[in-house]
Amino acid sequence: MSTVMQVKPEAALAGGSCAGVRVCLAAQVPDGGSHRVELPGRPALAVFNLDGQIHVTDDRCTHGDASLCDGEIEDGVVECPYHQGAFDIATGKPVAAPCSIPLRVYRSRVDAEGVVYIQLEQ
Amino acid sequence: MHRITLSGTESVLTCAEEDVILRAGLRAGMGFSYECNVGACGMCKFELLDGEVEVLRHDTPGLSERDRKKGRMLACQCRPKTDCTIKIRQEAQCVPKSLPSRQVARLLETVDITHDIREFRFQAERPAAFRAGQYAMLTVPGLGQERAYSLSNLPNDDGLWCFQIRRVPGGAGTSVLFDQLKQGDAVMLDGAYGLAHLREETERDVVCIAGGSGLAPMLSIARGWSAAPKSPSRRLDFFYGGREPRDICGESLLRTLPEFGDRLQFHAAVSAPGATQTKQWTGHVGYVHEVMSAVLGEALREREFYLAGPPPMVQSTLDMLQTQYGVPPERIHFDRFF
Repeated sequence: MSTVMQVKPEAALAGGSCAGVRVCLAAQVPDGGSHRVELPGRPALAVFNLDGQIHVTDDRCTHGDASLCDGEIEDGVVECPYHQGAFDIATGKPVAAPCSIPLRVYRSRVDAEGVVYIQLEQ
Repeated sequence: MHRITLSGTESVLTCAEEDVILRAGLRAGMGFSYECNVGACGMCKFELLDGEVEVLRHDTPGLSERDRKKGRMLACQCRPKTDCTIKIRQEAQCVPKSLPSRQVARLLETVDITHDIREFRFQAERPAAFRAGQYAMLTVPGLGQERAYSLSNLPNDDGLWCFQIRRVPGGAGTSVLFDQLKQGDAVMLDGAYGLAHLREETERDVVCIAGGSGLAPMLSIARGWSAAPKSPSRRLDFFYGGREPRDICGESLLRTLPEFGDRLQFHAAVSAPGATQTKQWTGHVGYVHEVMSAVLGEALREREFYLAGPPPMVQSTLDMLQTQYGVPPERIHFDRFF
């Protein structure tokens, strides 16, 4: 379901409050699936497509060293393949043990060309 | 005895009539994923492919609605009723260093640590084989339910198992231990278990954070750290958090270690210094994780952590370390009993 790609960081593209970091193309994320993106110098990101809505989170489970892009997605929840802990994708809230630390969710937007951007606040 | 076949492997193990699947696996030297042994952590989820089991506790926090819908169960809460075939996760880090086993232990003596924490020393026949930071399950007559208590001492050939237990106001379990158990009385001890043991091999400076009866495993960690060969520049900072000054303990026990006052520092924090006492408190005020952050700051990013204490304390500390200081979970050791 997921693929790995390298993307160059392009900060402050549109200017003003819309500034963001380019992540990938929305079309690269299968519907109901995920897509792993590695930006240089940052932990990997997981981009999810839930019924056409794009969500971007950290890819690494907060409980252990596993990629959430390898996890099963169902009803807006991603399940870690490691110990079957789970997170609500839209909010990052842990919804199944052993996960207890929320997953970081990034503010994201998709522009007219279908490019996904996230906000990286300091 | 029932036979448990592990799907996807060649392994078959036997499980005694009264034993649960998780412990049967660990007793056989297998690395079944687990932490708490009491249904809370959710690490020992498995799927029953064939056979029948008895579920000991149904309302366990370790299983989500979603887990239940998928037919998952907890190996620590299931006793086989027939031969079974199961699918369960195994991890190298869960393979026990010494195989856990049941044995009778007798109360040797007790020592009061604070107004509500008491050390219980038990004598067993066989050597006390465990790793610093681990726990054992105790079955106490008159109590029924088995409970997990952490060890405060170090492994030894004398069969001495020391636990520091906090009296829970109105708690049936601790009332039996504190008020009824007499010298020479027998309990059933099953252990040792737990993954939050000392990592002797790590080259990092250590932080221990304890509250309540979390003193015991952190003391064991500090004692093990002191006894282990290590680089002479290594440090250990020990934080103990309590509500009031009378809750604070551990310093006098740590003082006996050769590194104390130099490379081993004790920091106490109270969250409500004037709650019931008028005695002046001159130490840190606040929650223990906040005090840890104030004392060590950015140095926290490079440390190895051991935590034990009340769930809100453990959760707040974990949250701060991972979210604020970016400490990866592999460097934070605790057993989730909640």
